[in-house]
Amino acid sequence: MAQPLLQHFCQILYDSPFGTSVRESDYAFSVIESVHVLSITLLVGSISILDLRMLGLSLREIPVTRVARSVLPLTWAGFGVMFVSGFLLFWAEAAKSYTNPAFRVKVVLLLLVGLNPLIFHTTIYRRVAEWERDHRSPWRARVAACVSLLLWGSIIVAGRAIAYF
Amino acid sequence: MLSPQHWFAALAQSPLGHFTQTSRWAFAVIEMVHLLALAALGGSVLLVDLRLLGVILRGESAAVISRDLGRVLLASLAVMILSGIGLLSEEAMKCYFSPAFRWKMALLAAAVVFYFTVHRRVARGADGGTANLPQRAVAIVSLVLWLGVGVAGRAIGLI
Repeated sequence: MAQPLLQHFCQILYDSPFGTSVRESDYAFSVIESVHVLSITLLVGSISILDLRMLGLSLREIPVTRVARSVLPLTWAGFGVMFVSGFLLFWAEAAKSYTNPAFRVKVVLLLLVGLNPLIFHTTIYRRVAEWERDHRSPWRARVAACVSLLLWGSIIVAGRAIAYF
Repeated sequence: MLSPQHWFAALAQSPLGHFTQTSRWAFAVIEMVHLLALAALGGSVLLVDLRLLGVILRGESAAVISRDLGRVLLASLAVMILSGIGLLSEEAMKCYFSPAFRWKMALLAAAVVFYFTVHRRVARGADGGTANLPQRAVAIVSLVLWLGVGVAGRAIGLI
């Protein structure tokens, strides 16, 4: 096997009947891509409002936990739609995606963006009862909010860039 | 008074149009900004309308949520319109004849007019508690209009 295992796997997906039919269909790829793009509003739009709340830029009078409880189901729903539609798009283009620099950057960013809430929830969010009513959250929560906005924004940019490489 | 077609042609021939048509990355970069603003706009519309539907944040004042997220909506709408003009300048004549673009502009006009006339008034007249029928109706019309703008916008690149 001359090529790396991951690349080999991508090639198998690419050559599979399903991947091929999505790629060669007149509508399938565009329709899935449209769902993927419009779900940005669900995923990034919802989580960014929680980020803005912690930064003290929006919904200051509402406790952070209330905003989080309302917003996170939407974020997870958006994540589900994005992940499934994104995986279908990847399936159709896997062999090309593997060598696409924007795609590689996006995968790294996605791993990082998963790490952020993991750190956030196991540290400063544990004591959220102490600060949930503060108009501006403590600095560590604000850092997490900024990192979230930055990473999700970069993921949108990298995702769009995939089409240009 | 010149026809709309003349305005589109003028935009295509403007310095902005010249720049976006000849630059290698301008269109891509402006499109990314357009998408980033889409996230903020969609998020704020969704949260306010879900509140009006009584799905989320039921205990909180709809008026406060509409006021706070209204600022996010207006800021992102401004970015979307400005970046949209940039995108338009690159392919003005294609857009002028595109049914998807015409639909998008009609739906956008409807969504913005609906927001400033009906939506804001209903949302800011509401307080805590369960949603009533007018609030729910307003939320659904708003969601349908804004989703329509997004779908038609996506379709510009496809048809």
